[in-house]
Amino acid sequence: MERVHDRDAQAFEVLFDRHCDAAYSLAYRMCGRAAMAEDIAQEAFVSLWRSGARYDPVRGSVRTWVLSTVRNRAIDAFRRDTAKQGRDVTDDGLAERAQAPERTDTEVERREQARQVRGALGTLPADQRQVIELAYFGGFSHSEIAQLLSLPAGTVKGRMRLGLGRLKVAMSESAGLIT
Amino acid sequence: MPETGDCGADAAAYVLGALEPMEAERFRLHMESCAICRAEVDSLEQIVGELPSSAHQHRAPKTLRRRVMAEVQADARADRRARPGRHRIQGMVLAPVVSLTVAVLAVVGIEITSTAGTAVYAASVGDAQVRVTNGHAELVVHKLPLPRGSRIYEVWLQHRHGAPQPTTALFSVTASGDGSVDVPGNLHGVREVLVTQERAGGAKHPTSQPVIVAPID
Repeated sequence: MERVHDRDAQAFEVLFDRHCDAAYSLAYRMCGRAAMAEDIAQEAFVSLWRSGARYDPVRGSVRTWVLSTVRNRAIDAFRRDTAKQGRDVTDDGLAERAQAPERTDTEVERREQARQVRGALGTLPADQRQVIELAYFGGFSHSEIAQLLSLPAGTVKGRMRLGLGRLKVAMSESAGLIT
Repeated sequence: MPETGDCGADAAAYVLGALEPMEAERFRLHMESCAICRAEVDSLEQIVGELPSSAHQHRAPKTLRRRVMAEVQADARADRRARPGRHRIQGMVLAPVVSLTVAVLAVVGIEITSTAGTAVYAASVGDAQVRVTNGHAELVVHKLPLPRGSRIYEVWLQHRHGAPQPTTALFSVTASGDGSVDVPGNLHGVREVLVTQERAGGAKHPTSQPVIVAPID
């Protein structure tokens, strides 16, 4: 990461190769459109490169840092696009799904992790899962969600709290994701 | 958080990025004196950090790699050209921001480098740069506070004459104040790139003083 911080293009290329699939997948999950997802992922990586790559290991892994930048850029894109078309799509039935990556050990581990997280999300009551997904993948604030669902803001926050609490328990029980 | 507030619910909304900017700021202040909330946030951040894994994984298109690395390589070349001793001052202009009561500025437009790569212009107000590559401009900002309430930052183009022209470039910043946005439109005749804080969706005329002024003339 020090070489990335020093704007070493080769080091950045390694970082890109390591995280580009996850970054693109998150962008795709958030916007549901291949071209827009590519634009968002591009903006995110270029912004990481140009911002001097201010990575702080205390605040999480490199992957978390990359993906939080992707999420921020997606939310910026949503704000630019006031119509917000395509924000509420789900993974199910999305066309243009790319061919699965090769099953390296890392990929297998990552897929297992993804399966566990999806499984944990699946254990949540639908109303709790809905507010979490609208907030995280849709980039909506709690007051926007309250307006969308015609609920009091306190109810939305309460569902977020309950949902994350349940998620924590479910993920702790499955494969020790949380240490 | 406010004495009557619900710390736990706010912690969950905070880690999901679902608090309004002003609420998030208040919550951050609250956490400084609330160990329970700090611990809750640390714990929930681990959970939220795993949410991207729940998305179906796709292979990134090859064009993404080409596009990103083309920009990275262009910047790297520009960096090499911009080593100390090769910077040059392009010009100095006096530029009051039209129709805005800004007591700004003797503005120094510094082009760090140009030629075939990327021209980089440092802001005279605020911590920012405008990077222009083949007529395509990107604004990169640092240390900007989060916009108030539901407001957002808007980019304006200031020509030699007339009021600043709005763009479709609306953006926010990370908690550390970093952000970047493409500057749309033709930069021909543009003297400055400005940023103001506006209501969500943007405004047709600036309603606040610019927090970024980047001369590119």
